[in-house]
Amino acid sequence: MLPYPLLLLYRIFKRFKSTFFINLIGLSTGLACALLIYLWISDERSFDRYHALDGRLYQVMENRRTAAGIETQGGTMPLLAEALRQEMPEIELVATTTPVPFFPGFTLVAGGQHLTAVPKYADPAFFQLFSYPLLVGTPATVLRDKNGIVLSEALATKLFQSPQNSLGKAVEWQMADLKQTCLVAGVFAGVPRNSSEQFDCVLPFASFKDLMHMNETIKWDDEGPFNTYLALKEGADPAQFQAKLAGLLKTKSAQAQAQGRTLFVRPFSAAYLHGTYENGVATGGRITYVRLFALIAGLILVIASINFMNLFTAKASRRVKEVGIRKALGASRAALVGQYLTESVVMALLALVVAVGLVQLVLPQFSALTGKPLALRWEWPLVAASLALALGTGLLAGSYPAFYLSGFQPAAVLKGKLPTKAGDVWTRQGLVVLQFTLSVLFIVAVVVVNAQLAFVQRQPLGYDKAHVLRFDTGGKAARQQAAFLSEVRKLPGVVQASSVLGGFLGGRHVEEMSWRGKRLPVGTMLVNYDLVETMGLDLVAGRSFAPQFRADSAAILVNQTLVAGLGMPDPVGQQLDGRRIVGVVRDFHYESLHEKIKPLLLQLDPSINTVLVKLQPGAEQATIAQLRQLYAAYNPGFTLDYAFLDADYQAQYVAERRVAVLARYFAGLAILISALGLLGLAAFTAERRRKEIGIRKALGASELGIVWQLTSSLTWLVVVAIVLALPLSYLLMQRWLEGFAYRVAWQWWYFAAAGMGALLIAWLTVSVQAWRAARRNPVLSLRAE
Amino acid sequence: MSLHVIKTENLEKVYRTEEVQTKALNHVSLSVEKGEFVAIMGPSGCGKSTLLNLLGLLDEPDGGSLQLLGTETSRYSERQRAELRKRSLGFVFQSFNLIDELTVFENVELPLRYLGVGASERRQRVEQVLEKMQLLHRRNHFPLQLSGGQQQRVAVARAVVNAPPLLLADEPTGNLDSASGHDVLGLLTELNEAGTTVLMVTHSEHDARYARRVVRLLDGQVVLEHSRSQF
Repeated sequence: MLPYPLLLLYRIFKRFKSTFFINLIGLSTGLACALLIYLWISDERSFDRYHALDGRLYQVMENRRTAAGIETQGGTMPLLAEALRQEMPEIELVATTTPVPFFPGFTLVAGGQHLTAVPKYADPAFFQLFSYPLLVGTPATVLRDKNGIVLSEALATKLFQSPQNSLGKAVEWQMADLKQTCLVAGVFAGVPRNSSEQFDCVLPFASFKDLMHMNETIKWDDEGPFNTYLALKEGADPAQFQAKLAGLLKTKSAQAQAQGRTLFVRPFSAAYLHGTYENGVATGGRITYVRLFALIAGLILVIASINFMNLFTAKASRRVKEVGIRKALGASRAALVGQYLTESVVMALLALVVAVGLVQLVLPQFSALTGKPLALRWEWPLVAASLALALGTGLLAGSYPAFYLSGFQPAAVLKGKLPTKAGDVWTRQGLVVLQFTLSVLFIVAVVVVNAQLAFVQRQPLGYDKAHVLRFDTGGKAARQQAAFLSEVRKLPGVVQASSVLGGFLGGRHVEEMSWRGKRLPVGTMLVNYDLVETMGLDLVAGRSFAPQFRADSAAILVNQTLVAGLGMPDPVGQQLDGRRIVGVVRDFHYESLHEKIKPLLLQLDPSINTVLVKLQPGAEQATIAQLRQLYAAYNPGFTLDYAFLDADYQAQYVAERRVAVLARYFAGLAILISALGLLGLAAFTAERRRKEIGIRKALGASELGIVWQLTSSLTWLVVVAIVLALPLSYLLMQRWLEGFAYRVAWQWWYFAAAGMGALLIAWLTVSVQAWRAARRNPVLSLRAE
Repeated sequence: MSLHVIKTENLEKVYRTEEVQTKALNHVSLSVEKGEFVAIMGPSGCGKSTLLNLLGLLDEPDGGSLQLLGTETSRYSERQRAELRKRSLGFVFQSFNLIDELTVFENVELPLRYLGVGASERRQRVEQVLEKMQLLHRRNHFPLQLSGGQQQRVAVARAVVNAPPLLLADEPTGNLDSASGHDVLGLLTELNEAGTTVLMVTHSEHDARYARRVVRLLDGQVVLEHSRSQF
């Protein structure tokens, strides 16, 4: 036997079956979307928060004044950690590290095995600051020994069978023409997936200092790419510390003061979601997408709730008598509100059960789509979130019906007549308009996001990204880079080969340069011979680097933006900061289309080891096989890990592509739920006007005419929704597009397609009901009265 | 001193639409004493049901005073009116007004639920009243499975289950055949003899004979009051 309220609901649901199913489908798909988005958001929010010192853990950041405004970066001068420890008593622990992208990868050699690993150099406090549990070694001492290395559990197991077995064993690392032997000093459990940085081994920063012949004491004028992390002592006031830190550089370095350089700290765990700075102010980052998806989840729930409200109040005429009776028997308004809210909450809880099933069903696809291994783990945060979502939706969906129904005067409704107030009809129609406004908004978003992605594919980039292979060399191939590259060029199927520091795509180290008193921040790309030819860059003046010109080691190529920025009338032959310009390349997009092309110079460095190989189309696989052979001949035991530049290019738009796919699904669901609601409403309208239809038919109305009668009012609602949605969607999507420096132009048909799409779907939905009503035998309809 | 269960003075009710204003009740002054059985009669549209709705606190008067069980209620809030309805009033309607989704037992139980009566006492009292109405064997039926007469008996059972001092009946036999109608009127008479004050709206002279006093309304005004002997 069910408890009384549930029993009652069961009977009501049985009586209004179609409404029940429409609500169940709508609310459960809405809740399923919300749950999926919740899983995604909570995973995003978990990044970098697992450290025991989280809350006291900060990264030192630097602001610098440039011609283009204040620039913010996480790179700080070397040896800052030691200096801060002495200057600031508030600091409990502090460590400088190399940033992870600093080394593309080491080759670790031990016992005849070669493994690729991402290294990180760090001060001794590193394992005390960050909670990477040590399986071998103690946090305070594991990085003390200059010759030590701390391996991840996975690396240690691969190289030495077990973490315990690896302690004290020798490992040689190789990178380009560098190599060094160190002894395993410890093993850490590895970096969790929800860490913004991934690395496989940690080496003492002291050995990095030796390797790079760095000073032993800090020079405050220095700049650097290093990351400095610190933990404040318990009870230390971050604001006070911040103020003290802000004043530090100018007391130490006149040059830093002149450059407008200041230090500040940001909470370590904030970096992942709030990583973007504009003119020195944190302006967001991934949090934008977190908020966007939270908003989408909310909107879908609103659409589903509107169905519930509309169908509930539309059927009110059939339940209104009950309100009268209950009131006559002394039910207070609060009791009735409670009853109807219970009904909607129970409905939402039922929908939650279905939603959980749906989530289980689509979770593998959703995980693949988001690139996160998401799972429903029924621990209290998920339980609480699910219940809160269902409860919130239930209360939202039930609120309007509950107050609407419970507000009737019993004397009026006991006569069985529903007092029709113009306001109620308006509210119901307003809700349909709201639903369809949101749906059209979603459709426009889908169209625009896809148009922009197509634009990204079409946009001339200034280089040819097709059939270009990228890989990092190590060992002998790196030490004898020139010889290796010349052999690569001789392989059949290879068009051209070159190398570039850290890959062809991505931001560049920027320094301010001056020419005849004009200053300009300029990025530097370190390149090898033949880069212009390999990448198909376009020379608009001068020549590219060539071995026969000995003086090219001090020569540079510049892009058109640099020439324009400095206002050089005749750039070739000019000196820029002591280097001679030998050629000008047409502007090319070395960063994603989010970024404007910035002033760039290309500087020759034949030792760099990220190799780019342009392949002849058609014979890629055979050429790659030969490349492998060649690489293996240089480096026995090494594997060639390569990627295509095209894939690198696409990777710049992962987030957008994700949004595109998700927007498509969410738009589909929004439309589906809205259409279901409309279906229910149309059925109700047809039912309510049954007698009218009978009379009209008896008087000779055609079926088509009846269909028009029934569909026109709902059609108008959708038209109003379209009119409202279009400007709104323009504003919203324009804001999204503004994230791209290069963006697609608005086309009138984006709106036309969205509007027509929504109208068509609405019309199809309503017409089915209208036809059924129009074809009914009028005698039956009239007799039913 | 006589105790008034109902006492109205100059009670007014006006219905308004955009263009027309209709005075449904015009200065109605009426008193009903404890233990009376009063019938309100009059042609369709004379204001009988309006009066009953006001007396039952289902609607609000536009003027005049309305005392129920010795308290002035014309300025009661919705909450106070609901409170008084559930404690002191029972209703029987022409169209039975049972809730279709509830069984006979659950329908009769409803007023006790709103009064916050405990489950075991509820069961006991509902069974008692159902037995008295000879409906106990139908306790698990839904209203639509019953005949009209049975439905109205359920409605009477529901109206009296909380032993209200005042029972209001609006054309209780209007939808019944004569035998069932007789049954229901018999029940009302029994209840009245046991001490419940009964006020019944009817346009049937036959039904009115069960009452001890008849009040006749025309166009919203009391035109005549007389006792049963004066039929």
